Amino acid sequence: MASLPEPVTQLIAALSRLPGIGPRSAERIALHLVQTDAAAVKELSRILIAARERIATCSICGALTERQPCFICEDPRRDGSVICVVERPVDVLIIEKPATYRGKYHVLGGRISPLNGIGPEDLRISSLEDRLAKEAIQEIILALPSDVEGDATSFYLAKVLKPKGTKVTRLAHGLPVGSGLEFADELTLSKAIEGRRPLE
Amino acid sequence: MHLAHLRLRDFRNYARLDLDLSPGFHLLIGNNAQGKTNILEAIYLLATLRSFRGAGGAQMTRHGRAGYFVGGNVIGQGEHEVKMYWSSQARRLTLDGRAVRKLADYFGTFRAVVFCTEDLQLIKGAASRRRRFLDLLLAQTHPTYLALLQRYTRALRSRNALLKRRLLDAVALESFTHELLATGSQLIQHRRELMPRFSPLARLAYRRIATDEEELRLEYQPSVQNDFAVELAQSRSRELALRSTVVGPHRDEIRLLLEARSAAQFASEGQKRSIAIALKMAQAEYLTGIHGTAPVLLIDDIMGELDAKRRGGLLPLLGRAHRARSQVFMTVTREDWPAELGRDLTRWEVEAGIVKLAES
Ligand SMILES: Nc1ncnc2c1ncn2[C@@H]1O[C@H](COP(=O)(O)OP(=O)(O)OP(=O)(O)O)[C@@H](O)[C@H]1O
Ligand SMILES: [Mg+2]
Ligand SMILES: [Zn+2]
Repeated sequence: MASLPEPVTQLIAALSRLPGIGPRSAERIALHLVQTDAAAVKELSRILIAARERIATCSICGALTERQPCFICEDPRRDGSVICVVERPVDVLIIEKPATYRGKYHVLGGRISPLNGIGPEDLRISSLEDRLAKEAIQEIILALPSDVEGDATSFYLAKVLKPKGTKVTRLAHGLPVGSGLEFADELTLSKAIEGRRPLE
Repeated sequence: MHLAHLRLRDFRNYARLDLDLSPGFHLLIGNNAQGKTNILEAIYLLATLRSFRGAGGAQMTRHGRAGYFVGGNVIGQGEHEVKMYWSSQARRLTLDGRAVRKLADYFGTFRAVVFCTEDLQLIKGAASRRRRFLDLLLAQTHPTYLALLQRYTRALRSRNALLKRRLLDAVALESFTHELLATGSQLIQHRRELMPRFSPLARLAYRRIATDEEELRLEYQPSVQNDFAVELAQSRSRELALRSTVVGPHRDEIRLLLEARSAAQFASEGQKRSIAIALKMAQAEYLTGIHGTAPVLLIDDIMGELDAKRRGGLLPLLGRAHRARSQVFMTVTREDWPAELGRDLTRWEVEAGIVKLAES
């Protein structure tokens, strides 16, 4: 069987390093690209480069942004006394979706994971402490995943931030809204019971 | 509960196999190295997602192939279709056509208990063997147990990784300790509650099959005596010296006692074999009691080693599974056995990766 020319195999290799693209789709995309009108491919590469060059992480909160600092950090209508701590930049978008949260953000860039060699010093924790010292922050909401590393990171943050006089809260682990109890697995259910609150 | 259809592709020495299976007793007959145990291994894999021979995916893939497929139709409360695919690149598990995200959601679809010569290690082997036996039983009966165990193990491994660092980060250690205590205490609670229910079943099973009059008892010896948090804190200097967590349910022991003496140290070979079978019989009985349906029983190679008395103890259990419209699979090398079972069984001939109904 004849093999593919080297530029194509190189392209396949590069594409398959992208998240969510397996060897089969990489091959399909590569073969498509090398047979597409050259101008369209040039345009695609221009867009790729431009996107990469224009996007950076916000110097204050760590979210993805085109300008420094980002819209949210600069928005005077947002409540600067509340900061929501998330793991990844995309988590900001997820919490922004329902448009109910009016505070600001801080992206940690990961969670403490001794098994992957990630310690607190690898996360944006000291920049969070700097913000606490500089900004008038009254509450920090921890919105990290509820797996082992996420919970341990929340615990860690509460431990180092509370002595600085800020209120530290975390998202309630709860039942999915709009679904009955029968759809919650038992672990979610027991966490939801642990995290119950008095009715106002 | 029974397996109505088994489908193998490139699994062990099977290029392809499709078997329609009725409830009842199935005998797999064949010479050595023909693929009898491989079938039991595949069925057990559907139930527990593990090989009872401790094999990994690569080992179970037919030589020279990229991956294996094991599928089954299970009839219990309703009918379910399970499909497993493994290759070094990809793993897929679907239940009724939908990807299984959490293993805890899958467990309980199909339950099986295996009897094999390896079971002797439950008595002779390290404590980890007995913990694994207990963990499987709890995972088969408690929907949250497996997730708890996985969280505990992750917290434990994370904590041990922190203890191995040159510079100890005390706050990070405390953060994972918090998780370890929360999940570990629940594990201990589950194990503690299981033991008084399980031990009598094992005692009765032993009495039925053993040729002696001695009494089998299981005793839970938790690593934590009273308060996990306090005892973990007290172990600090030891864990720093060993760079590893030395207190917790990962150090639990389940002692097997015959007349209050350690079976590992004092029981004869024959007694050990009887204890191994008794533990598995008790497992099957416990599952039947909790779920109201008998698990599928997989019996590999152990029959030939048993004398008439022990067979007489085990066979009623097999007969009962039969009547309850459950299923038993048993491997034998000689067709003349076991005569006690009568004619009411399906006999399969297994030869070099091909399975055929035996002429009767
Ligand atoms: N990954 C594999 N690919 C192909 N063949 C395999 C693979 N693993 C095992 N085998 C073959 O399967 C056969 C063993 O099958 P199995 O263990 O089911 O035997 P058995 O019929 O139970 O024999 P016995 O009576 O000795 O226990 C051997 O011939 C072995 O070479
Ligand atoms: Mg065998
Ligand atoms: Zn910002």
